Amino acid sequence: MSDEEKESLRTSGDLEKIESRIIRQGLDLKGGMYIVLEADIPTLMGNLADMRDERLDNILQIAQEKSAAPDIDFFTVFEQEVNTNGLKLARYYHQYGASQEEIMSGVMEEADDAINRVLEILQNRVDQFGVAEPTIQKQGKHRIVVELAGIQDSDRARALLQSTALLEFYLVKNVGATNEMLAQLDDILRGTNNSEELVELTQGEKIKNISEPEVPETAEEKDDDGIKTVSELFGETDSDPSDPSNTASDIFTDNPLTGLLTAFSSDLGIQEKNIYAVRKLLDKPEVQSKLNNANGQFLFSHEPDLLQGSATEGKYYKFYYLEETPELTGGVVEEARADLGTLGSGSAGQPVVSLTMNSDGARTWSRVTGANVGERISIVLDKKVHMAPSIREKIPSGRTQIEGFNSINEAKDIAIILRAGALPAPVNIIEERIVGPSLGADSIAQGTNAVIIGLILVLFFMLVYYKASGTIADFALIWNILLVLAILASLEATLTLPGIAGLILTVGMSIDANVIIFERIREELRKGKTPKAAIQAGYSRALTTIIDANVTTVIAALVLYQFGTGPIKGFATVLFWGILISMFTAVYVTRTIFNTITTRKGITALSI
Amino acid sequence: MRIIKDTKIDFMGHARVAIFLSTVLILIGIGSMVTKGGPKLSIDFNGGTLVAVNYTKAIDINEVRSALSTVMIEGQSFDFSQAEIKHFGDESNVAVRLPSMENEPEKFSRNFVDQMASIFPEFVPDDKTEFILSIEKVGPKIGAELSGDAIMAIFSALALILLYISVRFEWRYAVGAIAALTHDVLFTLGIFSILDYEVSLAVIAAFLTIVGYSLNDTIVIFDRVRENIKTMKKLSLDKIINKSINQSLNRTIVTSLTTFLVVLVLFLAGGEVIHTFAFAMIVGVLVGTYSSIFVASPIVLKMGTSES
Repeated sequence: MSDEEKESLRTSGDLEKIESRIIRQGLDLKGGMYIVLEADIPTLMGNLADMRDERLDNILQIAQEKSAAPDIDFFTVFEQEVNTNGLKLARYYHQYGASQEEIMSGVMEEADDAINRVLEILQNRVDQFGVAEPTIQKQGKHRIVVELAGIQDSDRARALLQSTALLEFYLVKNVGATNEMLAQLDDILRGTNNSEELVELTQGEKIKNISEPEVPETAEEKDDDGIKTVSELFGETDSDPSDPSNTASDIFTDNPLTGLLTAFSSDLGIQEKNIYAVRKLLDKPEVQSKLNNANGQFLFSHEPDLLQGSATEGKYYKFYYLEETPELTGGVVEEARADLGTLGSGSAGQPVVSLTMNSDGARTWSRVTGANVGERISIVLDKKVHMAPSIREKIPSGRTQIEGFNSINEAKDIAIILRAGALPAPVNIIEERIVGPSLGADSIAQGTNAVIIGLILVLFFMLVYYKASGTIADFALIWNILLVLAILASLEATLTLPGIAGLILTVGMSIDANVIIFERIREELRKGKTPKAAIQAGYSRALTTIIDANVTTVIAALVLYQFGTGPIKGFATVLFWGILISMFTAVYVTRTIFNTITTRKGITALSI
Repeated sequence: MRIIKDTKIDFMGHARVAIFLSTVLILIGIGSMVTKGGPKLSIDFNGGTLVAVNYTKAIDINEVRSALSTVMIEGQSFDFSQAEIKHFGDESNVAVRLPSMENEPEKFSRNFVDQMASIFPEFVPDDKTEFILSIEKVGPKIGAELSGDAIMAIFSALALILLYISVRFEWRYAVGAIAALTHDVLFTLGIFSILDYEVSLAVIAAFLTIVGYSLNDTIVIFDRVRENIKTMKKLSLDKIINKSINQSLNRTIVTSLTTFLVVLVLFLAGGEVIHTFAFAMIVGVLVGTYSSIFVASPIVLKMGTSES
């Protein structure tokens, strides 16, 4: 079918009807992605707790590690750990009941409920994303299998599925507080780290001189609202790293954290290659407890930006010091829409997502913006800062815009995610198979060729070896294949490459049934029986053999179906139906043909 | 047309030699597995990432290897020069297998594909979606579960088949059939280990198909033996078995030949994805035919008629 024909059918809505009647091609033939997501139950449990402390966190972590082994349920291990440690669950989860039993069944129900909501939200997201025939299914208790056929951009699809869609608005702490915290963290880290470890963290790369008080020429941020520039900030630090004799390790010893930071327009920037080192430093328990005490947190921007300038050119993540508790979360979002920024605004022509909040959200938003004019507020999605604009005036309408997207597609996806709502539990990708469109096309061409060549060889062989009887067997074989394909289409099964292999095996098995019968008829003919008697004896003797042989193969197919995943299941389905149908075509159909011929014509010689 | 006329080959007389040969070959295979620390498992069972990309020109694997010795992804430096890097299908396609990592950076596979593209930027197809052939990533937990399932599948299939044959025939036939199947699977595993082929989920499917096929073959012969025992009461069991094998020899050859043709075509023309599956099937068809005659039947003979 040409593309134009397809297009005209699509507009009339007939294409879908036709497509629903043909056999669906699996991901390995069409290209696409197969993803297994697992709900992050330990994190969910942490979030459900009314109160969190180190003891609970420890037990959650131990249970998480232990349940990483196959076939071990998180809740079983969790309850064991609770018992051995004598933890009082009612302290943390009193809202689910008083006794441990009540609480356990309560949180387990909550987890089941969460995964069902995750399923619904993912379905919603994928529907809006617009993929033909997506499959989203629950597998086991805490897993979701997503199959997206024909998808080209796997990164986009992955982001769409995995994003928790946790939208939060945090106030940005002012420059003084940021500066003070950084200095304090440097002090803490200086005391605990040896420089070798740090140098290793940055892969021993010599750190570029970071203290040049430069303001990049490409400053595009609105930094006209009284915020101290970063160069001023760094001017206050107590070391002078501009000294050319400073080596990397010197800087680390003096300023373990700020040594990795650099000025980036009005913000702090971290060079892409140092991001891992900074994360490691921030994850240290002493740093975390310091931040907890100050009710603050550090977050990065979601994508690195290019900083142009002489010595510090490169890609940088921005680095923000924020309040610990959000002023507002994404639950209040009523509508999200991707757009291009309007003329006259700072984001003219840039992709943006416009949000509308419900009345509660609008009220809070208006209060927060009203009380913090001149301050900066950060819009954070999945713990990554998308933007941190200054508040110019009170926003009473509950409308706001998110900027900072690479493309309109990304903005569209974020809008979809925000509309579909946040996931109640984070999900991790535990299995992922992506077949590129070109490999899929190759596979289908080669697979089809192999089937056709193999089939022709077998048909030809039967014809030469069994002459006229071979024609009957060939006829039965072709019927067999057509019927299997028809059943696959009616079952809405997916034809995968292993499925094609199953079809080929069916051909072999189906021919075997006829070979057994024909060889038996030949034997009977040699004993001097008439064609009619030989056919009679041949079929009845061969039948038990064929049944015994096929039943065992059906057993193998059923077991494969039971234990197999995805592609293996496809193979088993084809094999199972292939063998059942071959019993009908290779035995019943051929017998009927033989009977008709021998009774009508009363022939005395059999071409076999 | 007949391939062979009435034959009177003394199969059971040669069974001793055949079993000796089988034992030696299987021991070699097991030896290879022991020295290599078990069969070579694909990422389906071991977990890990397999990335296959498509350049527009034949690529030297060694250049890829040296380029992958320092890879920077999100501030972490990796050395993948020890990873398994090989051609995938033809010489312009390259597949890299990486082990599972703890704390894998976000967007790792995307970044890794970008790195692969940057090695030979001039040979990357213009349409970037054509560059990625496939990416497979299996977490360690899933891998362990899949191996558990595969082992369960093979053992439950064997148990059910044993049960079916015990009911339909006799116990000793079931033992003979299971011995033949175990022989086939061990033999094929050994060949895989010697040739350094990976055992993946598809290969497990092939193994189960081999089990089904070999069993099919064995049962056809057993059926004939059962029938002949009823009609030829005067003959000794080894004569009956010999006669049964000879009587069904034509069918055995024709069926094995047609099935062999089909899997051979699959092996030669079926494409890279299905290659190892087809290879396992080729070995399986040959070994399965052999084992029905030289493994299953002699065991039935050894266990005697006493029970019946």
